[in-house]
Amino acid sequence: MRQAYRIIPIYTADVSGVCSALYELGGMTVMHDPSGCNSTYNTHDEIRWYDEDSLIFISGLTEIDAIMGNDEKFIHDIEEAASELKPRFIALASSPIPYMNGTDFPAIAEVTEQDTGIPTFAVPTNGMHDYVHGAGMALEAIAEHFVNEDRCEGFYPADCRNDKAEAGIENERDHRRVNLLGVTPLDFGPLDHAETMKHSLEQYGWQINSMWAMGDSLDQLSKSADAAVNVVVSSVGLRAAKVLQRKFGTPYVVGAPVGRFTEKLSEAMEAAVSSAKGFAASEIEKNAQTRHLSETEAAQEPADNVVYAACRKVSENLQDANKAEENTRHQAEITLIGEPVTMGSLAAAIELQYGRSVRVLCPLEETEGLLAPGDEAVCGEEMMEEKLKDAGIIAADPLYRPICPKDAQFYELPHIAFSGRIYLKKIKQMPGFADLI
Amino acid sequence: MIKIAVYGKGGIGKSTTVSNVAAALAEKGLKVMQIGCDPKADSTMQLRHGEAVPTVLELVNQRKNDFELEDMVRIGFGGVVCVEAGGPTPGMGCAGRGIITALEKLKEKGAYEVYQPDVVLYDVLGDVVCGGFTMPMRKGYADKVFIVTSGENMSIHAAANIAMAIDNFKNRGYASLGGLILNRRNVKREDEKVAELAHDFKTSVVGTLSRSEQVLLAEEQQQILLEAFPDSEMADEYRKLAEQILAVCEERE
Repeated sequence: MRQAYRIIPIYTADVSGVCSALYELGGMTVMHDPSGCNSTYNTHDEIRWYDEDSLIFISGLTEIDAIMGNDEKFIHDIEEAASELKPRFIALASSPIPYMNGTDFPAIAEVTEQDTGIPTFAVPTNGMHDYVHGAGMALEAIAEHFVNEDRCEGFYPADCRNDKAEAGIENERDHRRVNLLGVTPLDFGPLDHAETMKHSLEQYGWQINSMWAMGDSLDQLSKSADAAVNVVVSSVGLRAAKVLQRKFGTPYVVGAPVGRFTEKLSEAMEAAVSSAKGFAASEIEKNAQTRHLSETEAAQEPADNVVYAACRKVSENLQDANKAEENTRHQAEITLIGEPVTMGSLAAAIELQYGRSVRVLCPLEETEGLLAPGDEAVCGEEMMEEKLKDAGIIAADPLYRPICPKDAQFYELPHIAFSGRIYLKKIKQMPGFADLI
Repeated sequence: MIKIAVYGKGGIGKSTTVSNVAAALAEKGLKVMQIGCDPKADSTMQLRHGEAVPTVLELVNQRKNDFELEDMVRIGFGGVVCVEAGGPTPGMGCAGRGIITALEKLKEKGAYEVYQPDVVLYDVLGDVVCGGFTMPMRKGYADKVFIVTSGENMSIHAAANIAMAIDNFKNRGYASLGGLILNRRNVKREDEKVAELAHDFKTSVVGTLSRSEQVLLAEEQQQILLEAFPDSEMADEYRKLAEQILAVCEERE
């Protein structure tokens, strides 16, 4: 199967993902490239570009810099900009050229941090992955570097959590505190659209501690250990959730609040908080020691905390067995295309509300453990076209329409990570994610 | 875990030295892993008696990620865990980038956790010609670099370039220079010239190896000297060198 794209575009790349995830946090994101990644980012991918300031630094890498490995010039330029702009942190993102010549970004980050005193970290992008990869690693770095117990109370403090539980210090309010992980305009559009998820969960009695990373400051994010549970609302948030679980024992569930599915998600969040209370402090220590293996294993195992997958499994069981089998194949009535967590959640909401069978086709790279039975990872335009051949009802970004069957009913679901700003006006007129159905 | 990278001019005897040092350390009861960082993939050839091993990059190229750690590992003489990074066809691709990808893949597959070596030896191609060849000395890889040199001017020049690269990277948290290994070619003023080089870079000559026909004879038999002539004086020279390398690394620890 060829992977050429003749008609549809490809998704936003990893470097833009980093910039998008860190845009509002007061740091300086450095793109080490000649300027191509930058122009794609601000022209197509970043809807906040003209309304909200952010420090995006472009190194302007030249051919001779790449050949000669002029790291000193790169470091000097970053440090000069940082001394003037005083960012909260510096994030270094790589692009294809420095990736190929092996520029050592972690070492450059170390030197820059030593020289400036500003926390600096590298995000190992290379321009060859999609935005989920880049944005996911950027939020992972924030969880790793900026969320510490000394910044907050810590809902699950490693050394005294059992004592605290026994002493009955925890109160109901603490139990309902939650972080939403993986929120960027690339998946959710403008802030007010993303905030519909907050409002939706608040209606179930949850208090939103922070939203990673829209509408909240770095200081607010750094208090994330105060939450009783994390909700991974898009695959962008998964890596950060694993870091927060390892560091603080905070459990996470995967799913985005939308329509009737929100109730199921809320129940899963409550269950996660209840079961995590018995989690011993020693487990956190063990997690920290076996970080490499545990995170690798976790990625390979089918996860029970992927709420929409579990929820759709249940609804499948309620149906006639033969019909269910049919529905999970190509005969699903409705096809959704896009990011696995948001589309998986929307699929669950549609199944719950209308009893119609839905399948998700996911054209992004990071799908392991995130797809429900019947959903599929799709690689390339040709494969997508093939999968859509029998589709009756399709909801996807409008740019997918030309490869859909002519007689299919098509519902527009603009996705900024796919079509950029083209449909922004249309998006603004639509309801936010949680209110889509 | 002690992690050592060995550099030096092409053809100076790095792989022969590293393989014999690996075997000498294994004789002491240590678990040793030797990783060849050269597209030619011949670092561990004598240890594995010429037995073929797919290189890490061959596996990545052919199977993407669909292979196991064991596929890229062979257990050689003395139980030494042998790995070859490999690289592109000569004249094509990017060998330096290849070293980075191979070492990252090895880490990703959990090589250090699974085999739990006491000593890891990175045997690195010739000169530090580009960023990729600094990979074995980057943070998280080797802690100490040893440079193999003879008294020949070209070899000393190459060694000086490598030592300079290490010095340039001292604020990056890279490996530090552990010392020089003199592999004699019996040229005039050999000891004196290498001692001068050591002095210039504020380091020492940690070991000296004689020029020996037995090394070549062993190679003919697809063996390392420690296997072919374990009771020879040359074998003792390698054992002594292994002790000295270990002493330098333990001193640091």
